[in-house]
Amino acid sequence: MTFSDDRPTMIEFKDVHKYYGDYHALRGINGTIKAGEFFSLLGPSGCGKTTLLRTIAGFEDISSGVVMIDGKDAAGMPANVRPTNMVFQSYAIFPHMSVAENVGFGLRKDPRSKEEKAKAVAEALEMVGLKGYGNRAAHALSGGQRQRVALARALILKPKVLLLDEPLSALDKKMREHMQVELIKLQRQVGITFILVTHDQEEALVMSDRIAVMFEGEIAQLADPETLYRRPATRKVADFIGTMNFIPAEILSEAGDKVEVDAKGLGRVALDISQAPAKTGETPVVGLRPETLTLLYDDQKPTERETDGVIDEVIYFGDMTYYDVYLGGTDVEVRLSMRNVPGRPVLDVGTKVRVAWSPSALVLFR
Amino acid sequence: MAQTPSSEARAGLKLISPTAIYVILLLAVPLATVLLYSVLTGGRGTVGLPLTGENYAELWSKPVYGYIMLKSLLVALTVTAITVLLAYPVAYFVSFHVKPERKSLWLFLITIPFWTSYIIRVSLWFVILGYGGVLDSTLASIGLPPLNVASYSILSIIIVLAHAYAPFAVLPIFVSLEKVDRSLLEAGQDLGESRWVTFLRVTLPLSMPGVIAATLIVFIPTVGDYVTPELVGDGKEPMIANLIETQLLKLRNFAQGSAFAVASMLMVGVVSLIFVLLNRRFIGGQK
Amino acid sequence: MKKAPLLRSYTLFYLLFLYGPIILLPIFAFNDSRVVAFPLQGFTLQWFGEMAADQNLRNAAWNSLIIALSVATLSTVLGIFAARASVRYRFPGKVPVMGLIMLPLVLPEMIVAMALLVVLLSIQIPLSLFTVILGQVLICTPFAVAILTSAFQSLDKSLEEAALDLGETPWSTFRLIILPLVMPGIMASFLICFTISFDEFIIANFLGSGQPILSVYIFGQFRFPAKVPSMLALGTVLVLFSIILLGFAEYMRRRGIAKAGGKDSGGFL
Repeated sequence: MTFSDDRPTMIEFKDVHKYYGDYHALRGINGTIKAGEFFSLLGPSGCGKTTLLRTIAGFEDISSGVVMIDGKDAAGMPANVRPTNMVFQSYAIFPHMSVAENVGFGLRKDPRSKEEKAKAVAEALEMVGLKGYGNRAAHALSGGQRQRVALARALILKPKVLLLDEPLSALDKKMREHMQVELIKLQRQVGITFILVTHDQEEALVMSDRIAVMFEGEIAQLADPETLYRRPATRKVADFIGTMNFIPAEILSEAGDKVEVDAKGLGRVALDISQAPAKTGETPVVGLRPETLTLLYDDQKPTERETDGVIDEVIYFGDMTYYDVYLGGTDVEVRLSMRNVPGRPVLDVGTKVRVAWSPSALVLFR
Repeated sequence: MAQTPSSEARAGLKLISPTAIYVILLLAVPLATVLLYSVLTGGRGTVGLPLTGENYAELWSKPVYGYIMLKSLLVALTVTAITVLLAYPVAYFVSFHVKPERKSLWLFLITIPFWTSYIIRVSLWFVILGYGGVLDSTLASIGLPPLNVASYSILSIIIVLAHAYAPFAVLPIFVSLEKVDRSLLEAGQDLGESRWVTFLRVTLPLSMPGVIAATLIVFIPTVGDYVTPELVGDGKEPMIANLIETQLLKLRNFAQGSAFAVASMLMVGVVSLIFVLLNRRFIGGQK
Repeated sequence: MKKAPLLRSYTLFYLLFLYGPIILLPIFAFNDSRVVAFPLQGFTLQWFGEMAADQNLRNAAWNSLIIALSVATLSTVLGIFAARASVRYRFPGKVPVMGLIMLPLVLPEMIVAMALLVVLLSIQIPLSLFTVILGQVLICTPFAVAILTSAFQSLDKSLEEAALDLGETPWSTFRLIILPLVMPGIMASFLICFTISFDEFIIANFLGSGQPILSVYIFGQFRFPAKVPSMLALGTVLVLFSIILLGFAEYMRRRGIAKAGGKDSGGFL
């Protein structure tokens, strides 16, 4: 999950706006996507992520701003000449053609001989694990197979950027997880930029080098998955990605690179300025991921801080148990997750517990 | 394709323009002309100024026009009622009691007669119902007196029209029955209703849009039918279309004929609107 | 499926009512009597011979064929423009324009014919086969638009975008992707417009003054009892012709669905 930032820029957005009539779909998008990067546009439906992807493909005009593709301004460049290819959400497999005709569709004007093109098609099919499927009718394929055909069809043109519009949303859970891994491998193999649109935060975290989280036509945060998870820039991003407990807090002092807060149920905590992203003007809260809280058993000593609590709810997941715990005699309830280990029983509702936590796991939103 | 709304509008307008220009020149302009003629002063084969309400006053004052309009309306409504009532059970049968893969075959069978020459079908009835025709000769051969249906012009017009437009009614009713969620019927019976009551309380109301559509589809062409009164009714019982022909072509009274055409369009429009509003009520009532 | 014997027999009876007169066609077309009445008099091909020898009828049939082919072509082309525009684009005035195009479906045909006739007479355009074609195209275009609209609607928009994305121009996308996929709809539209035009009477009668056209000719001949048997022979041929055409249209439609990998969900209307 590391990405060296010295690669050249492939896509650049400069203050991109898009209006549909009165509707402001993209509200000043800025950012760069690097060559060879696996990049995700993540957000709830209607946040503009698909619109942004389609401006790269050339299916949407932008109202103002600049989209640069491989150093060239894309304005006025129609979809059929852009060095990008797309895998559609519906896969858009041409139903009146065979698998091979679908995959070789973009080679129509290619000057190579028929045999060479057939070889290229066969190679592309092999690459996506559909060796020998060339003569099948396209409409007889399963969902997973259609997706592979769509991938082969886009990759055979050796684009500089592959655009994927929710490519896994039509697949069942098992198949989706399988394809996530395959897509990562494929991206490493071909080495080109992949831009994935998804509303599934888990999918984005698993697959991407970097992720742009979008809400209401704006990029709320652009970062690598770990930063996004551990240091979300806003409460909204934190809420969208994974689960986070939000605890009301009061800011006591702010000096240099230290911020001291009083979090309800946790007490006074000194935070590093890196734990407090830029102000957004909301009521101050501190955020804590469930897995950064631990229940202490009789013999255990806390490594850092410790707070008393009472279990309010127990949710058993097999490998994990989630506990909802009231902190330190307050009405602040946090969710924490514990791995189920043999010899350590699942606790009951009403049990008094000690909760260990680390100040460095806190994020302050204010 | 990359499109701002205005370029999309341009592309759409450009694409539809051949068809739009065609219907504007050959449909909108002629209809407007008829509307204009209806308020002009007419002579034989000519129209001219001044503008006048005379043509409409004439329609109002001479009972024969009102009689023909009313007769056409009643014939068309009777035909429509018969056609829709006869068609409903057929549509119901195909929708509820025919295996899904056989449905299109049944519909095909029902619609074939519609696609065979209308003139021939109507003319055949002329041969069947006519004096000494198939019906009467058959009756005679089993020793019954002739019915001589053709001499009852209006009755024979109704029979022939009801036959000619029968397949029109089945399709829309079938389509609306197909849309009825089958689990609603199970729910109806599960809630203790008999099959018949379930039909009355669930299926029938849900299929009303189809019934109304069928009504319109049959009513409009029957009220304006020209061939049947001419051929089967032997021209003795003219309907709207025949009167328009008489005014415009035989008397060459363009102004009067146009006024009558406009009046009959208005009548058809009003009756259709009533059906459509009934439909709205049904759909609205289901919310 | 639940058994419903009563409904089933009713439906069969209804079909008999629908087909009754048509079944009489071949019966009396081969009946060796000029009087169309029971009992039957024996088998003859005389009426078919009379029909084939009738020069006026042959002219009328030829004219009808020319009209029907022209009308089917024109209506389908106009239908493609309108259906494609209405499915694919939003533009100002779409509702009134589409309403005007579909209007002949809800106007008595006589009104359409008379309105057009009044204008043609006023600007002194002589009536001919051409004016019949102009009028019938108005009647057939709504059917073409209805059929083609459903064909265009079943087309996934991303198929088009995919072709553009893979390097095709808008025009080659239309040729390589859209046209083949809506071809069954185009065929069905053509066949149905052909059938409607071939049978159409009112416009043929009033806008084709004097020209022999099949439906007008049939209408005229039934008034002469001596001509009725050969008309029945002609009717037999026409019904057979219609059934073959419709069977072909239905076959095309099913093949289209199979090609697109869809499921059959009813008739072509």
